[in-house]
Amino acid sequence: MKKTNWFRINVLKEEQWLNGFLQQGYKITKVTSWRSGFVFEKTSQAYVVRIDCQKAMKKEAFEEYKLMYEDFGWSYLQGSRSSGKHYWQKVSEGQEADQLFSDRQSTKNYYKQLMNYSLMFALPFFVLSCILFQQGTLSPDNMYLTRGLWDMEGSLFWKAFLFETPFALLRLFCPLIVIGSAILSLSAYYEYRKLQQQV
Amino acid sequence: MKKHPLLPLSETMHYILIALQEPLHGYAIMQKIDELSEGAVHLAAGTLYGALDNMAKYDWIEQVGLEGRRKIYHITPEGQRILAVEKARLVHLLSLY
Repeated sequence: MKKTNWFRINVLKEEQWLNGFLQQGYKITKVTSWRSGFVFEKTSQAYVVRIDCQKAMKKEAFEEYKLMYEDFGWSYLQGSRSSGKHYWQKVSEGQEADQLFSDRQSTKNYYKQLMNYSLMFALPFFVLSCILFQQGTLSPDNMYLTRGLWDMEGSLFWKAFLFETPFALLRLFCPLIVIGSAILSLSAYYEYRKLQQQV
Repeated sequence: MKKHPLLPLSETMHYILIALQEPLHGYAIMQKIDELSEGAVHLAAGTLYGALDNMAKYDWIEQVGLEGRRKIYHITPEGQRILAVEKARLVHLLSLY
């Protein structure tokens, strides 16, 4: 079974989404390098997946990091020294043993890493959004290219308007993805911050 | 004097420094703490990794060797000093009970 993660920018939501499949008797066998595609396989054991978030590590530290998690029974699915996000899976051993963090200090720190990660993720989209607004890409004049559209009257206007709308939406699609990503990653930031303050 | 960001020591950090009175690698630290705390404190992988990374950064512990590819850690004199400070604080607290 294959699943693709499209717009789940929030890491905790992504983890929940993945664990939903694992609870139905699957385990993850592969995460594609773009980290949005997951391959699942039926299994008789209950698995759990966790997404860890770490600052970029030196080669030696990364080795130590992986080795330690593996000693605790986790197997590494996907990530790299500088990917920020690391996917870990293991056979479920109960609520407490299935966590990556066991005290307040480290849980708080985990949310802080997620906050930094979402800000880094949001930054390019945010800058692009600002450029789009500044260039007026989102104003009706630039979206509807029919000349004199806004001076037309009555049914002629509506016909031309409705004819042009699908094209305008198409033109709007890319900017919407950019702005949507900026909004989603910023809202993830605020959710992490709320959780961090609750710990 | 500005307070150290890791003080007062969390229960996790306390146990790790005490466990590292003898040289141990990561997983063995967790097992030792299970034993010392009589099962009350069971460290998770991320918590242990982060704590070791943090304490090595402040020179409270250091690498003293390898077992296979696993790093073996041991407490440093600075780590012992921190433990002594914490002990004095806790003894004082206890005397007030």
